[in-house]
Amino acid sequence: MATPLPTQPLSPPELSPRSALLAGAGASLPQLMAVIPFGIICGASAHSIGLSFGQAWALSWMVFAGSAQIVATQLMGSGAPIWVIVLTGWVVNLRFMMYSAALAPHFRQTPRIGRWLGAYPLVDQSFALTLGRIADGRDQRESAWFYLGLSLALWAFWQLGSLAGILLGNIIPAHWSIDFIVALTFIVLLIPLLGNRYMWIAAGVGALVSLGPQLPLKLNLLVAALAGAAVALLLEKLWTPSTSGR
Amino acid sequence: MDTLYVWSVILALSLATYFNRVSFLGLLAHIELPRVLQRMLAYVPPAVFAAIIAPQVFPSGTAGLPTLDWPRLIAALLAIAIALRTRSTLATICSGMLALWGMQALLA
Repeated sequence: MATPLPTQPLSPPELSPRSALLAGAGASLPQLMAVIPFGIICGASAHSIGLSFGQAWALSWMVFAGSAQIVATQLMGSGAPIWVIVLTGWVVNLRFMMYSAALAPHFRQTPRIGRWLGAYPLVDQSFALTLGRIADGRDQRESAWFYLGLSLALWAFWQLGSLAGILLGNIIPAHWSIDFIVALTFIVLLIPLLGNRYMWIAAGVGALVSLGPQLPLKLNLLVAALAGAAVALLLEKLWTPSTSGR
Repeated sequence: MDTLYVWSVILALSLATYFNRVSFLGLLAHIELPRVLQRMLAYVPPAVFAAIIAPQVFPSGTAGLPTLDWPRLIAALLAIAIALRTRSTLATICSGMLALWGMQALLA
């Protein structure tokens, strides 16, 4: 038997709201390498399909979700119907609902106005880093300030990247294949998710369907996302021996 | 591009996205997400991300069918290997782009 580990790790000292806010902003810095180029790509693609400056920047301010922005931009560029674009973007952003549900129990004491406003800048990085912080034993109030500082910093970097992309997008030569950064950015997001075979199955089915025959109304991504999730869920049900387990 | 079309997409997409974000933090603050839905939601991101990556790696050709583009495929495989090993954003993006440019220069 191994020596039992101490069950109650000492909680880190509580930070003042200001220090927690700054700690959150500081935690955004390593994310710059993903956030800025991705913002540039989103801004540049919005510009390239013929959106005006105001439209391209509004997309970035109001939606504030790179993957959905890229997808919506590609679909607008190919003239897909509005409902297909919005539904596809909604499904691409369904993960925010999962993040919202995962964070909610930790922010029960946060005032309602804080939760409603704080939900707006919720993205992959702010979710993952804040949840990691909570797992370290930080208290609710401090985690809320940390989340705010992190979210504001990520938001500002995103808008800067978008602005650069909208303004400079057409200067970058096409033979640099800078669009490939989109694929690389999503590889960075995808790989840590592949923790079990069902996640691999969801990814595999999603990839296969996205490469399959072109569906009418540009429905490929929507169908790929739903098919991947449905097949993974189904196989999980079939292969998990006990229905009450896990 | 048609102004009404673009603004409709921007407005509706921003509302749909905010709905997801505020769902359990605000709207349904005291409701637990049902387990089946939790599992389903967990499987959406890998499916979405893979479905965005795949057409970039196998760009569609003239017939709308995916084509084999060696520089993109090799760069993507290298990036996946680096991401699996390092989990580093910087290393993954840099190695992927350098591999793509290197392969394109070799095959040009």
